[in-house]
Parts: sequence; C-alpha cells; structure tokens
Amino acid sequence: MLFNQAIEIDESLNDDVMRLSLSGERVRYSLRLKPADVAAAKKSSGLKLPAKIGGTSIAAGQTILCLGPQEWLIVALPKSREKLAGTMAKLSADYICSAVEVSHRNLQFTVTGPGAARALNAACPLDLSVDAFPVGKGTRTIFEGAPIVLWRTAEHEFTVEVWRSFAPYLRDFLAKTAKDRHMA
Amino acid sequence: MSAFRKPGRGAVNTAVSVNFTFDGKKYTGVKGDTLASALIANGVHLMGRSFKYHRPRGPVGAGSEEPNALVVVDRGTGRESVNLRATSVEIFDGMVARSQNSFPNLKFDIGAFNNTFSLFFPAGFYNKTFMWPKSFWDKVYEPFIRNMAGLGPAPTAVDPDSYASSYGHCEVLIVGGGPAGIAAALQAAKSGERVILVDERVKIGGSLIDAPNCEIDGKPAADWLAAAVKTLGKAANVTVMNRTTAIGYYHDNFVALNQRLTDHIANPKDGAPREETHRIRAGKVILAQGAIERPLVFNGNDVPGVMLAGAGQTFLNRYGVAVGHEVAVFTSHDSAYQAAFDLADANIRIPVIIDVRDDIRADLRAEAERRGIDIAAGQVVSKTSGKLRITGLEIYDPQSGAKRTVKCDALLMSGGWTPSLHLWSHSKGGIKWDADMAAYVPDVANENAVCAGACNGDFGIAAALTGGNKAAGGRKSYSVTERDFGTGVTLDSLPNYIKDTKQKAFVDFQNDVTEKDIKLAVREGFKSIEHVKRYTTNGMATDQGKTSNLNALQIASKAVDKPVEKVGLTTFRPPYTPTTFAALIGHCEGKLFDVKRVTPIDPWARERGAVYEPVGNWMRARYFPQEGEDMHAAVRRECVATRESLGIFDASTLGKIEVVGPDAAKFMNLIYSNPWSSLKVGGCRYGLMLNEAGFIYDDGVVGRMAEDRFHVTTTTGGAPRVFRHMEDYLQTEFTDLDVWLTSATEQWSVIALNGPNARKLIEPFVDGIDLSPESFGHMQVRTGKICGVETRLFRVSFSGELGFEINVPSHFGRAVWETLFEAGQPYDITPYGTETMHVLRAEKGFIIVGQDTDGTVTPHDAGLSWAVSKKKKDFVGRRSLKRSDLVAQGRKQLVGLLPEDDSVLLEEGAQIVADPNQALPMTMLGHVTSSYYSDALGRPIAMALVADGFNLNDQTLYVPMPGKTHAVKVTGTAFYDPKGERLNVV
Amino acid sequence: MMLIHCPYCEEKRPEIEFAYAGEAHIHRPVKDADDMTDEEWSHFMFLRDNKRGDHAERWWHANGCNMFFNAVRNTVTDKFLVTYKMGELPPKASASNAKLPAAKKTGGAK
Ligand SMILES: [Zn+2]
Repeated sequence: MLFNQAIEIDESLNDDVMRLSLSGERVRYSLRLKPADVAAAKKSSGLKLPAKIGGTSIAAGQTILCLGPQEWLIVALPKSREKLAGTMAKLSADYICSAVEVSHRNLQFTVTGPGAARALNAACPLDLSVDAFPVGKGTRTIFEGAPIVLWRTAEHEFTVEVWRSFAPYLRDFLAKTAKDRHMA
Repeated sequence: MSAFRKPGRGAVNTAVSVNFTFDGKKYTGVKGDTLASALIANGVHLMGRSFKYHRPRGPVGAGSEEPNALVVVDRGTGRESVNLRATSVEIFDGMVARSQNSFPNLKFDIGAFNNTFSLFFPAGFYNKTFMWPKSFWDKVYEPFIRNMAGLGPAPTAVDPDSYASSYGHCEVLIVGGGPAGIAAALQAAKSGERVILVDERVKIGGSLIDAPNCEIDGKPAADWLAAAVKTLGKAANVTVMNRTTAIGYYHDNFVALNQRLTDHIANPKDGAPREETHRIRAGKVILAQGAIERPLVFNGNDVPGVMLAGAGQTFLNRYGVAVGHEVAVFTSHDSAYQAAFDLADANIRIPVIIDVRDDIRADLRAEAERRGIDIAAGQVVSKTSGKLRITGLEIYDPQSGAKRTVKCDALLMSGGWTPSLHLWSHSKGGIKWDADMAAYVPDVANENAVCAGACNGDFGIAAALTGGNKAAGGRKSYSVTERDFGTGVTLDSLPNYIKDTKQKAFVDFQNDVTEKDIKLAVREGFKSIEHVKRYTTNGMATDQGKTSNLNALQIASKAVDKPVEKVGLTTFRPPYTPTTFAALIGHCEGKLFDVKRVTPIDPWARERGAVYEPVGNWMRARYFPQEGEDMHAAVRRECVATRESLGIFDASTLGKIEVVGPDAAKFMNLIYSNPWSSLKVGGCRYGLMLNEAGFIYDDGVVGRMAEDRFHVTTTTGGAPRVFRHMEDYLQTEFTDLDVWLTSATEQWSVIALNGPNARKLIEPFVDGIDLSPESFGHMQVRTGKICGVETRLFRVSFSGELGFEINVPSHFGRAVWETLFEAGQPYDITPYGTETMHVLRAEKGFIIVGQDTDGTVTPHDAGLSWAVSKKKKDFVGRRSLKRSDLVAQGRKQLVGLLPEDDSVLLEEGAQIVADPNQALPMTMLGHVTSSYYSDALGRPIAMALVADGFNLNDQTLYVPMPGKTHAVKVTGTAFYDPKGERLNVV
Repeated sequence: MMLIHCPYCEEKRPEIEFAYAGEAHIHRPVKDADDMTDEEWSHFMFLRDNKRGDHAERWWHANGCNMFFNAVRNTVTDKFLVTYKMGELPPKASASNAKLPAAKKTGGAK
C-alpha cells in the first residue's frame, strides 16, 4: 500500500535563512508509566526515558521526549518498528502502563537555519533563544492555531511534530513568514 | 525653496525634493518631511475639519499626539489609510493625501453649519436629541450622524497588503528613544542581555533632535546622539526599532509593538509586509515616553496656526520649517521661551510673548530683551482673528482691562507638560498627583517596570539621561549644558472680558469639547470624571485625549469643587495610537485565518468535486454532485445507492481516544452512562456520555480491543472537549484509577462502507479476520489486515445497512480507499458525504448530538433510557438525572414528525404548536431538529423536540412556516426498518 | 497574556497554553449523593463563590504537560499568588492568602 503523507513543501521554504523539510516515515508511541515503575521499566526496556518534563534523549534513529509527568513520546525510524513493538509489548506485560502506537498521528518537520527560531516565533510564544530553550529541550506547546511538539537538536535546528491535519497550516504559516522575509 | 523652509535647519535633506498632492493640489517637500511639516513649509496650516462642528483645523502638535490634522493617504484600491496624523505621516514621492471630515472641500464645508448652530450642540447633544421617535433612529438620526460625524471613510475593498506578527523576548524593553531611552539602552547594552529600544519616529533622538540646543559630556547634542546611535547599532544584543509604536502593555510585561515597514516607501515591493506586530515578553520594561505639552484653553485657541510651543520648536529643529513669519507665543510655562528663542534665532519674528504670570524669570526676560521680544506679563489672549488661518490676536490685561491687538500668522501656546502615562496605566501602575507640576506622575509599579525622564516627571536633558541610566541600573551622571527647563503655573480658567457663552475655548480639539461643555456636564449632575468623559466625549477621540485630559480634569475639578487628585484620571486603554485592524490580525488572514483540517482521503474527494461543509475545524465532504445535480438530487442518489448496494464514506474525522490501563473498564463505567464491564473483548457498544448536570454531552461507538484497552470514538466536533472532560475527571476525581488517555484521532483513517454489498466488497482484501456473520456479528470489532495494512475493523452501522468502519493507519488511508473504490465498481460503489450520512441516520432515528440535542436533553428525553445503567453506583451525571426537574412530566422529548402533505420539507428550527388558530403569542411546544426527504420511505421525515412528545404519538400538531402552517403527525423516530433486519444481510 | 507557573513543568509558560477550569477544591459527592436533596446537590452543581480577591481555581496545561493543577489568583489584581499540584493543599505562603476556601483533598497526582 502506498504510504502517503500527502503534503508538499514549496521551494520558497528552502533557503540559507530557513529551511523546512518533511521527515519520512516514523514509528511513534505514547508511553505512560506509574511513577514507581519508571526506574525498573527503564532498566528492563533499555529505553532512555528522560526523567524531567521538557527533557529529551536524542540518539541516532530514536528520540524520546518527556511531555508530561510519566508521559513520553517515542519517535523512531521505521527500521526499529519490530523491536519497539516488542519493547512496548513487554512493558505492557510487565508493568501497569499504557503504550499506544501513534505512528501515523503526527507528521514531523525539521526547521533549520539561522532564521529558524524567528520563523517559529511567528506563531509560537515560547522564548526560543538558546539560553531559554537549549539544545535538547522539548515540549508540547502551541503554534498559533496548531498544538505542536517542539524540540531543539542544534542551535539552528528544531524538530516539530504536529498532528497530521495541522501540518498544512504549520507549513503555510512558515511559508508566509518566508515570503514576508523575501519581500521585505 | 518655499518661504517657510529654513535651510540648514532640521534633520531633513533639502537636496532631495519630494512631490505629493494634498486634496488634489501639488506640493513639494523634502526628504525627511512629514506631511504636516511639508504642508507648513508650503504655508498650509489648514489640514482638517473637526468632528462635530467641522471647524477648520491645523496641526496642534508635531507628533503622534496630534488631535486635529487627520488625513487619508490613498495608495490605491484597498489601500486608503484613514485617520492618519499628518504630523506622523512621512511623505514619499507621488504620495496622494486628502483631508477628512469635509464636504465638499476643506475650505468650504457644508457641515460647518453645525458650528454656526453650536449653541444647539452642547455636551450630551447626541444623547439628548436622538431619542424620539424610535422609528426615526434608523432612517433619520443614524444616517445623519454617520454623514456628519464620520471620521475618514473606511476602504471597502480588500486590503491587498500583507501583515506580519511575531513573538519576541528580551530582558530589557525600552519604550521611547529620547535621551532617557537612549541612556537606558546604552547602560542596559553593557549587561549583554537582550535589549530592545523602540521609537515611533523615523529615528531615535527625541528631544535631542527637537530641541538640540545643548551639550552633553562636552559634545553638541547632535554629535553625542550620533555616537550613541553608533554604539547601539554595534551592540549585538541591542535591537533598535524605529517607526515602532508600543501600542499596549499587558500582563507580565507583555508589550505589543506595531512596526510600520512600508508606509514611508514610494514603491514598496508588491507583497512586502506593511506592518509587523511584535508581541514582546520583557524581563523589565523601561518607559521613556516623554511628556506631552498641554494647550492653553482660551477663546479662539483652535484656529489653524495656533499650536503647541514645543511643536513649533520641533517643526523648526527637526524639519527646518518655520510655522509662520510672525509667531506670537502665549504661555504659562517657562519652556515656551525656549521655543520662542529657537525661532527668533532662526530669524522668525516673535512679536510678543504673552505670559499669564506676573513674575518672569530674570534670565528669560534678559534673553527675550536681547532678541527684541516684547513680553506681556500677567496678560492673556482674549480672542484670535482669522478663520482658515490665524491673522492676529487680542491681548487682554485683566488687571487694567486694557486690550490691544497684535498681528501674527502663528501662535505658539504652552500650558505646561503632562508626563505620558499611557503605557504605565495599561500596566496598572499606580499614579499620584504632583501639585507643583499640576500633573499625575508614576507611583508604585505593578509590573517589573520603571519610568524614566519626562514621563517620570523629570524634565530636562540632564534629568532624562541620568534617569534613563539609573532605570537600567547605572549610576552615571551626565554633564549637560542646557537651558533650565523651568516651571509653570496652572490657572483654573483664563480671565476674559468676553462672556462665557460667546467664547469658544476648546479642550478636546478632535471631539470639539469646550470648557463650557465640561462645566455643563458637571452642572447636569455628572460628577465622576469617567461620566464627564462619556457625556462630553472629552478624550474619547482617536487621540485618547493626549493633549486634553489634564485640562479637562482641571476644569471638571474646579466645577465640582474637589481637588484634582480626588477627581481622578480616566483610564487609558490600548492601543496608544490608532492601529490598523490588519496589524492586530497579523498573519492570520486568508488560509491562515483558522486551521482547516482535512482527512487523508480529502484530496480524492476534492478531485471528485465534492462540496464541503465545516464541522469544527474540519472541512468535510458534504455531497458529491454529478453533472447537473443540486444537493438534493445528489443526496437522493447517494442514499438510494447506499441502501440498494454500497456507499463509501470518509469517517476519519471522528474523534478517537485510546483508553488504556487495568482500570480502563472502571473508568469507562464512570465516564459513560452505560455499563462497560460486561462488554467482551472484540465487542462494541454505543457509548452515551453525560455531563455532570445529566444532559447528553457526546456519544460514539466504543470497541474493546483488550481487557485493558478501549478504542473510544467521539463526535467530530466534540473530540477536543470530550478529551478534556475525560482528562479532567481522571486527573481530579477518579485519581485512584490506573488508566491513561491517548488521543488517536489522527492515527486512523476511517472508511465507512454501508450497504448490502459491503461484506462482499472487503472479503477479498481482508486477512486474518473471519468476516462471516456467525463469527463477526453486528457491533463487533476485529484486528487484522486489509489490503495488506493493519486494521481495526468495526462492524457497525450508522445507516441501518450492513456496515463496516475500516480503521487503517492514516497515511495508508487514501490508498486503501482507492483500492476499495476501484474494486467496488461492480457494485456501483457510491461515495457519499455528511448530508447523506445525516439522512440515512435520521431514517433510523439515530441522533446527532448538538443537532437533535441542545445541552438540555437527558437520555430519557432522547429516547435513550436504555443506555443509562440502573446498577452503577456512580457515573458522571447520575445524581443529576434524579433531579425533580429532570424526571418531571412534560419535558421536551425527541419524536418523529411526518408532514401530512408529503411534498413539504419542514424547516429545521421551525416551531411546533398544538393549535394553529390560537391567539398570539402562541404556545410553542418545541422545534424541529432534523428534517430530510427520505427516498427509502418516499416521503419527508423529521425529528423534533416536543413537550410531552412521547404521550402525543399519532396526534396532529402544526408547524407554522413562512407562507403556510403545516400539519404533522407525531411518530416514533425509527422510521426505517425498525427491527434492524437489514443488518442481517448475508 | 499572563505567564503561569505550571507546578508540573516547573516553569512559567504563556497563558495561551492553558485553559481555565473553574473553582478549585469543590468536593464531588459520590457516596452520599443519593441522600442529598436537590437543593443540596445544586450547591455542588451550580453555586460558586465568584470571589473578589484571592480565588482558588483550576487550570489545565492543555498545550503543555496536559495536567490539571490548582492556583490561587487574585481576581482584583489578576496576579497568581501560587500554583500547586492536584491533590495538594494550597500553601499558606503569605498573609494575603490566609483566607483560602476550606481545602479538601480531592485529587492526587498520578
Ligand atoms: Zn505543565
């Protein structure tokens, strides 16, 4: 079957100041645990679950964000699909927890370039300076009309996850900021 | 070079001419001019007409405080900007500007008859006059007011410009780029923290440009300023924003800045953003907004050519323009002498300085004498001459009674200075009355904010610099050589031999409020300054009384015989200066106006020419018209095809919440009215959700995927509030439960197949699920594969036909849909939209929450008592269902209606009565909630909420509609296949 | 737009991430609900203090950590005195919030 994320990104969103790119297929889980089980679950699953809300663990092929108390979003490359499914199944068997696959719920964008923070700040109210929002910080927040999950992977590189149907809005918003920048 | 231009003066470039038109006439200004300075340089002071009396007016000020000189700048269709202050508008080559409030032209204005009859237009005129008869309001009064009293005409075409907005953050935000703001920025810059300095003018400098006659740290002001600008420009942590107005100051140092990007450019790039609204969160805010000079309230103070002394000084020093050749000065404050001296030094004749005070500072006297300027101490201006431009004035000595006239073509006035507290007040900062200054000054801050310089009541360059530095945490003291700013007096009222009723002494120029009006308001019983303001409209014009509030306050204070500080100040509200709506909207117009959500299958529907309807933020295909079909025809075709063979429907927008945890069933029992413990894995159940008040809140089919896992569906529009409702109870009431909620709406594409051929269609594509009716009955859910893709396959029906809802991961949705659609051709598979879905469900009597219910409908009212558990000890809404009102007889209940005339489609929302011949007003029994033409039944059907409806079965009621009242028979709601036999197709 | 300190995120976040959720520390009767008169039940259902001054209320960090929490906000100054987790009692942090509504423990952090 044709995997179709059904969204295109205009060339105007690709320059030295800011580049928006769509990530390919990802495997995603929303994981919840009881506080008392976190340490043991981490150990048995091998998942590097960040302890604090806003924390991330970013490794090749797999990012885990702590979005709420004992709430994690796991985003992995498709090659980990089977392994991650196994891990989730085992966690579900061993602990009182909730593991829900949400692979197709989100689309993922990366926003890169020296103008990335300014472009995101067109609609995101958070202070995205490196001091206030350092590399490795991740959070659920708002992008004007769209709820997003945002994390910083480098000084000039952010990843944004957004529910599928909000993606065109996010893209169009960033395209508007790029157009304004090109025209100004 | 025009006669009023002073070469070598001002921060303008006289080498570059700028051509523009005003009211159709061609003028030439220079680069750096505002519209006002360019017109004054051409000898033109008449720039507008006042709001009520249409009196001729010229600029009073030289900046954004200007009340009079409101103009339209016309840049073509949709780009007519109105109510702009000529004193702030930068000219560009080819600019087309017009005056406002005048008909047929500025010099001869018919509306000025209001002026002649001004005795009949006192304070509260509108309130008093346009009251009776009521029928006159629409046809006579309102058009009259709109014609006569409008400000600039709003453009009717769509604004073609683009606007931007953004969030920004800084440690220090400084509002105002005068000496105080600059000193603050220089100091703050050293910290390395993010500093933003905003100024509404073209460049920072403030009074260092308007009154540059001083030295700072041994350097001429202009040099010091140039060095400061350079320093700030080089500091990487400092952002200087010119042409930027801080329009509002909100909670926690959230300040809105409006930056004008292209208004000053002759040919901006098409599509370039015109304005950007910056929403700045600042650690600390330093307000250095300066002070606004007060007019003197005297007879004839509104003739063009009469302006504030500081404005005259600014026109000279900033723009190199003389406001007249013979400029008289009338003051109660020392600072006006500085203006007089600056003008005199530029070879402008100052015939006289009239000072209300008897004692004049010796140094000022000496300096005046040296320049040959006559001083009339202890005297006042009793009247002015000239209609479209001042030609002279009369000086009156109240002690001797002597009068004399002096010729002039401009008159500078000063009644002292008012610290600008607008933003401070937005921030809810406290204020206190300073009797010496006769003005309010900042008191206790409500935010991390501080005022510096003149807005703090600290006048003069030295005080501004020191204050600004200190506000940013510095301890520097500047060495400044400047003229002493001085002091002034405030008189309750200026003496005049002319009777009050014959005088026209304006307080609020823009709204034409006179001293008399304020006194009249007090006499008529308005004691609160807020009431006086609204009754007289003083301070309610677009300038928010920047020049008038303090004068009005003092007049009112005297009239009510209370000290000013007991009268209080009216509230300042954002925006500080008039702001375009587009700037407030920012990016959020056009396709960014709101989020439009579409499903993964949407592009397919769009290609097929589907007609859409919004449901919440979703855009859903409503029907799929074929060549020549209207909605009615399309829906009938879609309904018939579905009932007879096979329909395919995109149900992806349904809200989905995954409820997981060992206590999932317990939670479901608490949050839904029906029981869940008995539902086996693989089973589905219609879930009915109530709010705590016992009313229907949402509904949807729920599948049990595992002992500890439920796949909950919600209505499309209800998904966000249902999620919140569930989280709220889970987190705050049912806190001992081990269960979690995950929103999964967009994880799944949902393809609903309905019709007798539904099973036949999917059979070849399904793996791992036995589709036989014996194994997979109605209201069951299975997991397996379809078209090779993972699926949660529900056997459910919202149409009464054999139905499946195929959940597949979103990004496979379109491919699976297309595969099934292709394979469905032998069955004439027909795509249908929400309208057909509604008809099919109505034929079965299934409700739509929010259409057939309205937030006051209980399960019993909707005929859903069966979905309320009698056994459960608790669920949300349980206790409320027992309230006496909710079990009372005669409540509105959901019934079916069949119109007797089967060509009639009842209007949804139409009222229902028992006796159409009863006297008006009739007793309404309820209303029609759903109404459709049913092909399956060959007649129109409707659902309705009717008082005591369950007891009215078979009775005839009446539905009055436009043109005719229709008789209807009350029935049950299950119109079609009430036994549900069609589900059993093999 | 206010900044609100989320006790779970342990940082101040912009108000638009949050949703207001009504007065806090309202006890939802369960066991005794059936014995309550309609009049008594209406007090739980419909009657709120609508206080002028320090007001204990609930907020939801909807576009953040997804947690409901409690806050004391002064309805005159519109300033937050304190925010605290569900299930916690309002801290008697200052004299100005000495007269808080009788606190009932009605929820626990998961
Ligand atoms: Zn939070």
